[in-house]
Amino acid sequence: MHANFELDIAADLAEAVAMLADADGPGVAPLAGGTNLIVDIRAKRYRPRRLVGLDRVEALRGIADDGGRVRIGGRTTVTELLESPLIAATAPSLVQSARAFAGQMVRNTATVAGNIACGSPAADLVPPLLALDAELTLVSRSSSRTVALADFYQGYKKDVRRPDELIAAISWEKPAAGSHSRYYKLARRKGDAITVTGVAVSIVLDRGVCTRARIALGAVAPVVLRARSAEATLVGHGLTKERIGEAAAQAASASSPIDDVRASAAYRRHAVEVLTRRLVTDAWQPPI
Amino acid sequence: MVQEKQVTLSVNGRSRTGRFPAHRTLLEALRELGHTEVKCGCEKGDCGACAVLVDGKAVDSCLTLVWTAEGRAITTVVGLGNAQSPHPLQKAFAESGAAQCGYCIPGMVIAAKSLLDRNPDPGEEDVRIALSGNLCRCTGYTKIFEAVSTAAAALREEGGVR
Amino acid sequence: MSTTRDDRGSAPNVGYRQIGRPLTRTDAPGKVTGRTLYAGDYSMPGMLHVKIVRADLASARLVRIDVSRARALAGVECILTGADLPDRTAATDIPGQTGRKRLNTDQQILVKERIRYFGEPLALIAAQSRDIAEQAAELVEFDLEPLPGVYDPEEALKPGAPLVSGSGDNVVAEYRIRKGDVDAGFGAADVVVERTYRTPFQEHAFLEPEVGLAWIDENEVVNIRVSTQVIEHFRTIAEAIGVPHNKVRILGALVGGGFGGKEDMTVEIYLALLAQRTRRPVRLEYSREDSFVGHGKRHPFKLTYRTGVTRDGRITALRISAIADSGAYVFLSPYVLLYCAVASPGPYRIDNLDFHGRAVATNNMYTSAFRGFGGMQACAAYEQQMDEVAKVIGMDRIEFRRRNFLRTGESISTGFVPPSAIWTEECVDRAWAALGEPTRVAYPLKIGRGVAAYLQSYGRLTFLHDTSEAWVGVEMDGTVVVRSGVTDIGAGQASALGQIAAEVLGVTLDNVVIYNSDSAVTPLAGTTTATRALYMTGNAAKLAAEAVRKRLAAGAAQELGVAADQVDFGDNRVFVVHEPARSMAMIDLVRACAARGIHRSELAIFRAPFSDPLDPQTGQGQAHPDYVFGAQAVEVAVDVETGEVTVLRSVAAHDVGQCVNRAAVEGQIEGGTQNGQGFALSEEMLYHEGRLLTPSFSEYLMPTSMDMPKVQSIILESRSGVGPFGAKGIGEPALTPVAPAIANAVADAIGVRVFELPMTPERVVRAIQEMERQI
Repeated sequence: MHANFELDIAADLAEAVAMLADADGPGVAPLAGGTNLIVDIRAKRYRPRRLVGLDRVEALRGIADDGGRVRIGGRTTVTELLESPLIAATAPSLVQSARAFAGQMVRNTATVAGNIACGSPAADLVPPLLALDAELTLVSRSSSRTVALADFYQGYKKDVRRPDELIAAISWEKPAAGSHSRYYKLARRKGDAITVTGVAVSIVLDRGVCTRARIALGAVAPVVLRARSAEATLVGHGLTKERIGEAAAQAASASSPIDDVRASAAYRRHAVEVLTRRLVTDAWQPPI
Repeated sequence: MVQEKQVTLSVNGRSRTGRFPAHRTLLEALRELGHTEVKCGCEKGDCGACAVLVDGKAVDSCLTLVWTAEGRAITTVVGLGNAQSPHPLQKAFAESGAAQCGYCIPGMVIAAKSLLDRNPDPGEEDVRIALSGNLCRCTGYTKIFEAVSTAAAALREEGGVR
Repeated sequence: MSTTRDDRGSAPNVGYRQIGRPLTRTDAPGKVTGRTLYAGDYSMPGMLHVKIVRADLASARLVRIDVSRARALAGVECILTGADLPDRTAATDIPGQTGRKRLNTDQQILVKERIRYFGEPLALIAAQSRDIAEQAAELVEFDLEPLPGVYDPEEALKPGAPLVSGSGDNVVAEYRIRKGDVDAGFGAADVVVERTYRTPFQEHAFLEPEVGLAWIDENEVVNIRVSTQVIEHFRTIAEAIGVPHNKVRILGALVGGGFGGKEDMTVEIYLALLAQRTRRPVRLEYSREDSFVGHGKRHPFKLTYRTGVTRDGRITALRISAIADSGAYVFLSPYVLLYCAVASPGPYRIDNLDFHGRAVATNNMYTSAFRGFGGMQACAAYEQQMDEVAKVIGMDRIEFRRRNFLRTGESISTGFVPPSAIWTEECVDRAWAALGEPTRVAYPLKIGRGVAAYLQSYGRLTFLHDTSEAWVGVEMDGTVVVRSGVTDIGAGQASALGQIAAEVLGVTLDNVVIYNSDSAVTPLAGTTTATRALYMTGNAAKLAAEAVRKRLAAGAAQELGVAADQVDFGDNRVFVVHEPARSMAMIDLVRACAARGIHRSELAIFRAPFSDPLDPQTGQGQAHPDYVFGAQAVEVAVDVETGEVTVLRSVAAHDVGQCVNRAAVEGQIEGGTQNGQGFALSEEMLYHEGRLLTPSFSEYLMPTSMDMPKVQSIILESRSGVGPFGAKGIGEPALTPVAPAIANAVADAIGVRVFELPMTPERVVRAIQEMERQI
């Protein structure tokens, strides 16, 4: 591979944000797992001037039970998600997504922050995190702020992260009793494939009534998006077959997919409806 | 001007030094240093032929910049064993006929090693998930599954990690 | 997993010591320990690195190319463009050991003016490092003027379609087979069923991209160490660069996968030209993207089958029309089409047959050899058609096949009677039975099962007059050396020769070393293609070893004081047949023979049957030495809402004649099953106006460890083949029936057929939706 960039390897978080402090555009970027960034650089889709290596920044690692919230460092790898009992207990949809994520070597390196920051609508961790109402902690040398993942993306590969900021952490509220989350990745093969349509649902049941619903759709719009009208259809009701079907149809209408080498827009819209119906039904009547 | 620096790597327990630019991948650097057992198949993390262990975990060396590997313990398939004293995985791969053209095998064995180090008694589904980033065009994976399960049993019998 | 049926042989089991066992191959230890050097693992002092600049349009005129900025970059040693190579072309016709006249298939080496496919090479850059070569490539400026192109073979057949090359039309090859009276056959039919099947481009997807290293030695010989299936390309290379044949030497290495994709030349001529110009060693390794656009693909076919059948399931007539996309250059298209023609009715007795096929030039990527070579595309059609016809007449799919199977001693499409056993029926029954009880599932999953039978040739076209050579010798310590040019592309081609020599000479495999794949010093064996290596070179090695054995046996007879026919060889010893205690070690025998001046080596040649070409009007005659027969049975689960297909079970049953290495035979079957499953379900090369939209392994999806079932191999041994010990071959046959078996299983599951491969989730869903609309 040939490219022209400088590489600064940060020893700790303070050094990392200092190295990024003068970043004024996409020419300077943090390098975490590199599983997207290096591919883009090699293909000359991305020509950085300087990269800041985060692989030694221990403060960006770790999965913690932070009282009422689950909090993970931005540099947590997909494999670390899979190996965490806390994630297994609190975010089964994230585990389902991590299991279907690329291959072992990529899972061992790719990070949660990197998957969010790459901005791909097919990023597999984003739909389950969105359905969990995840929040991102963005830090720079001079600031720290919290942004809801739902507010992070501004358009295709556009987001609110400033060039001098890192996604330092991702957190979400520990699910209440009666909550169920599911993710399904539909792809053209089972192993190591780019998602054709990914749907995550997260619902809370209270005495036969759906009190909270989140439906997140991947690879069917310029960004991973919430199907809010479908969610509204579910909340406050017992979920009949008809009501779930109505929500699934609304989710399909909320999507705005394109034709590409993996599938047509029509098929993706069909898949959104099928998967939303299945996942909500399954979450509503979880196997005992 | 391309930024270069001297990088010292620990490969299979030995110190190896070279001068590399920032954009040099670990795959390219290892091959420049004579570690031709690390294979180049796609240079974008799709095939797994270049897998090596970095601090015990399998990574695609084509997606790793060599500067970031400095000071870490790198293990290639050569570091696991040799023809006289093969690692149980190598022995099982050879005896079960899991190597055909053999080009994917250095990466496949490394991915299997990374699995068995963390899960000494994997089920078939665990093996499938662990190897899904290693493409093979010759074997249909059938004998590779057999080899990994044979090696896992042999390692458990030995009662230790190798 | 394997079970064997060996109690029904045309020859008795002679109690082999080495043959038929799953021995650890001679190449295995080096491969699993990382010690094996592939062609890309060699380097030389002062070596230059090469990068190819490629056209980014599929049909265009090169208006201007300016390499001055690239040439000015420090470290760039040489840049060649078409203007530097006036009148240089390379033949793309069938390679190897044949003195037969070639077809007119020459291709420009670098674009002179006309660009005919996306990625056609415009310039070669040799530089001191890969980085510099890559930077220089970005500095090459060129202007292309788009020209009307044609990207669909049916469009290319229409009057007025843009011509890809030359004058006249875009048809590059045309074959007919005419047998019996088809019109009378249709007249005798109760039902006529016509269906059209489409098969796609396919990428070989070997894991080792094309790579080579060339240098000129002290004898002015151009040496090329290259990953290839065919070292005999040295002749074509010599002609292309203007030197005598004996001034080019190809050194192979163990090949990191071929599958037909390294049958044509890849990097050789570029390297030879640059070594000539620079007088430096030059190395060229394709990136994966180069590989996707840099070698020929599998021919897409459109196949229309019109079958006449009686109510009781007898096929009375078959008319077939085939159109193959040859892409921008001819390469092996005529032969691929011919294989399709010969195989087109499948392993069935068709007395009234009319096949008409054309290979058509387009501005798509050129197409050439790929495991199965036209025969597998034919199988994809004839086996789906068998199910379609059975469905129309309401007959069980296997019973319908049973009523039409070709039996031993009957003639195939060309009127030729294969010399070996035809065990198709037994293969179908065994594979089907092995599926066992159907898997139980609930909606939205549906289970389906399918079977496909096939015939596939082994050995090259007999009118090519194929030969192969091997040398076997015994060293003074009793160890054995085999020398043969055969290339080993991963199936254990070299190890098999060792096993054959070991069997004949009574030594163990660890006492044999094989030197192969060097056009200057190992006897030329011909190509590792066409399922011919074991058949051809195995026979040559066996002849050579038998000659050595005969002379050693004479020596042993003298030493042991018995007649030569009373001497046998085994376990590295020679002994008296009925008195095994009377024996001597191989090492002592060889020394005694050496002392008497007995010749301890032999160079043997094996000649395949020679024939004339098929009759141009009727297609009748001999095309191949013999055929392999077998079957695949699969069970799938189809998600009828998403269209996802999961292959739950895949069972292959093949009559391989005789296993030489059982594990290697199973390996071929298991790998062929992966290749066929990808072809059926997930592998797709999408082109837009000739431009490949899926040039990577994240877009071109071959099955992974999570997609493949454990493959079950049922190996039958009729010992009736024309290879060594009655062997047939398994390289290509392993792949041939897989895709139609899956297609038949999917149709069985969902009640409607997807007529175009691959059966992507989207195509499956669409087929179901269309069926529901019609109800």
